[in-house]
Amino acid sequence: MGSRRAFISQTLGVAVLGGSLPSFLARAADAQALPALGTSLDPENVLLVIQLGGGNDGLNTVVPYSDDAYHRVRPAIGIEARSVLRIDDRIGLNPVMGPFDDLYKEGHVAIVQGVGYPNPNRSHFEATQIWETASPENPVAYGWLGRYLDRTVAPPASPSDLSELFAGVALGDTVPTALIAQHVDVPAIGALGNFGYNAGKDTASKATAGSLYDGAKPGQSPYLSLIETTARNAMHGGDALRAKIASFQNAGSYPNDPFSTQLRLAAQIIGSNVGTRIVFVSIGSFDTHAGQRAQQDRLLGYLANGLHAFYTDLTAHGMQDRVLAMTFSEFGRRVAQNASSGTDHGTAMPLFIIGGKVKGGVYGDHPSLTDLVDGDLRYAIDFRSVYATVLERWLGHDSTGIIAGSYGPVAFV
Amino acid sequence: MKLDTSTDPQVGFRPPGMLDVPSALERYAGPFTRRQAAHLLRRAGFGGTPEEIDALQQLGAAGAVNALLHPSQPEVAFDAYPDTTVLFDPKTRNPAAQNWWLDRMLRTQHPLVEKMTLFWHGHFATSIRKVPADLMVGQIDLFRSQALGNFRNLLLAVSKDPAMLVWLDNRSNNKQHPNENYAREVMELFALGLGNYSEDDIKNAARAFTGWTLDKTQAFVYKPSLHDDQPKTFLGQTGNFGGEDIVALIVQQPIHQRFICRKLLEFFVYSDPEPELIEALAQTYALSGCDLAQTVGAILRSNVFFSTRAYRALPKSPIEFTIGLLRFMKVAAVPKDTIGWLQRMGQEPLNPPSVKGWDGGPTWINTATLLSRFNYVNRVVKAAPPRPAPAATDAPMTAGVPATMIATPPSMAAAPAGLATFPAYTPDDIVHEAGGLDAERVLATIARDAVQDDLTSDVRKTLADYLQSVGASVPVPLGPENYQEKIRGALALALNLPSNQLN
Repeated sequence: MGSRRAFISQTLGVAVLGGSLPSFLARAADAQALPALGTSLDPENVLLVIQLGGGNDGLNTVVPYSDDAYHRVRPAIGIEARSVLRIDDRIGLNPVMGPFDDLYKEGHVAIVQGVGYPNPNRSHFEATQIWETASPENPVAYGWLGRYLDRTVAPPASPSDLSELFAGVALGDTVPTALIAQHVDVPAIGALGNFGYNAGKDTASKATAGSLYDGAKPGQSPYLSLIETTARNAMHGGDALRAKIASFQNAGSYPNDPFSTQLRLAAQIIGSNVGTRIVFVSIGSFDTHAGQRAQQDRLLGYLANGLHAFYTDLTAHGMQDRVLAMTFSEFGRRVAQNASSGTDHGTAMPLFIIGGKVKGGVYGDHPSLTDLVDGDLRYAIDFRSVYATVLERWLGHDSTGIIAGSYGPVAFV
Repeated sequence: MKLDTSTDPQVGFRPPGMLDVPSALERYAGPFTRRQAAHLLRRAGFGGTPEEIDALQQLGAAGAVNALLHPSQPEVAFDAYPDTTVLFDPKTRNPAAQNWWLDRMLRTQHPLVEKMTLFWHGHFATSIRKVPADLMVGQIDLFRSQALGNFRNLLLAVSKDPAMLVWLDNRSNNKQHPNENYAREVMELFALGLGNYSEDDIKNAARAFTGWTLDKTQAFVYKPSLHDDQPKTFLGQTGNFGGEDIVALIVQQPIHQRFICRKLLEFFVYSDPEPELIEALAQTYALSGCDLAQTVGAILRSNVFFSTRAYRALPKSPIEFTIGLLRFMKVAAVPKDTIGWLQRMGQEPLNPPSVKGWDGGPTWINTATLLSRFNYVNRVVKAAPPRPAPAATDAPMTAGVPATMIATPPSMAAAPAGLATFPAYTPDDIVHEAGGLDAERVLATIARDAVQDDLTSDVRKTLADYLQSVGASVPVPLGPENYQEKIRGALALALNLPSNQLN
């Protein structure tokens, strides 16, 4: 079967779940122009994954402002048609997202509508695991990006070889499941200054600690070499990274919130050319069961302002075409508001893809607000289609073996 | 029927060398050294102080194992949880439950019981992310009460445990709408392993567990009206089975014996144990009728347990690392920020990452988790008491060791709120133990106490240089003015050695 034909039918297979998807199909039709699998993509391409923790309400992010059903079920928390940032005559962005709307108007943002998966899980914990492992059917130990790193990162040439240490980087205190790999050590960096051995004022202790794991003799335990190599990464990685980053200057100004601080560090790491291909950042507290508007608007404001500053920074360094950013959240929220002017856990939601090489626009129709499953939106595009697209058309790696099953791409890149 | 180990990340981490199969589970009859006593206390407990290790060594290997399996000393009078002031506050109930359990691990006089409780928590991995804190605490209490009991009774109790009924949804399993979640995991994760049952077995087991649910007070209740009382075929047997029958049939399977014994061996001995070793232990387990004290006892008394292949052969889990450090440093109460450190190290109690629990082994070790271990050591060892300690030259040197951890000192009876969260093990204790402020003897004391002399001569020299500031622009030898900082610094370095990452 010809690859183009297979591709279109796969894409259609995804599409029919959500009913008619005119704009999506229109874009799928020009998918043949995309680079085929296995062609050389820029090896310096970087994927920035942005987790919107807690379950972001998609309907107040990409607002179906012209749909009466929307205003009917959200009398207290609905966003008025006149205040949305219009994308077309049906949908618009939350009004706090002005700087993000600017990026959209410049053609750098793809909005992928109605993303989800079959039999959606409404538990924060389980749904997060599902999104981060790309395995809704059964629990697996490694994350989808961890599996990518396992297949692409060369093992260190020697115990002191730090060249691949920053291939994947989690900005935060812990390594998210998405980046848990079998063979690759992914550092978690909260604040750059704290990434290292902290002996306070005892500089002699720090200097001594740096050599504790050098030249240790192989011991009985098969774990010893793993521990020694990793310990050296931990002892020396931070200093190595700080030395590289020292010569990189962020351009423009970032807001002061924690999310923007992560993005500023992400730009530093990417711009310092330390071999980074995956950066994971997160912004939390989207679990808006009560008083949603104030809370979500504040967070979407951080998201919009942060991403605008980040993109401006990248552009000033000529790096905007090297970075593709992608949002996800463990679930969207219910269509109808609850009694506390909030929303409860739901299902499908829009994802944003941002970058200089992104084909801006809207992919897929907005999910119907009347054809619901138990009061929740029907998904139209499986999230694994988005992942497969990113793996194959951005990171240049076959998604087979990383994503179980076959999911047709979405044409945003 | 075979064990599927394809998803076990510990495969490949079996220690080098050959297992002598016939003698592996025979009683160890060799010398019981201080290092072996420390090994036993780390594996069958959470490690301890030099005094506790000495006391254990005095009992001999057999006596020490017996004392751990059947503790005769009274348990600390822990406060009953839940404390109703925190139980219903969503902001405090989860960390309160987590700290309640960490406090028990730190202060218990029955460390093997608590260690097995931790084992069962990892085995029947249930999370506070879905289950209310009071039910989680009830489940941990269940694990503790049957920690070394009979597995069949434990599995039956777990099947009726409210936290489990919530966690794996059996509370909504009824004959009209069967929910197979628990029926699947009881076989896949708890007792048989993947591939040793069919999808039909899952469906029939689920039917047998219908009607096992919760009443309005969140207590277990059997509702006959929700139960499917038609005949079922399960693992080749047909009958009008209920949940009790399913549990009984599961534990009779030879593959179950190997499944549970492999997991115990990976917890207590080393990763990826040989099939012959699993088989030998499975016979002990089967003969005992699923008796856990006998099975765990057989492990702890064995040649393979005390072999050099098993010594320091497993990475410490974050909880083992953390509680072991606090016990060694004689910190009386768990510092409140410990939960956050444990999260960064990758093992938050009551919050396992999935229904599979923690994968352990190599997954404990990455740059981020190791840095958290290093910096937690630095934070704990260097935590100063709120008031300045008297200068060493004025400090009375008592002949005895600090009585903080042996038996049940008076302070243990106090509420945790009254207990200190900084080390009671001080540089003065080390100087006293060393017999004077002499760098060489101080280092020997630190090396013996902190890592049982498991360090190379190169590293010993590195630590000695640190104590004497060798290489500094103005070397300041260890002396009365700097010994507090220097000894704490050297102790932290020793506790950050590779050997202290290993259990």
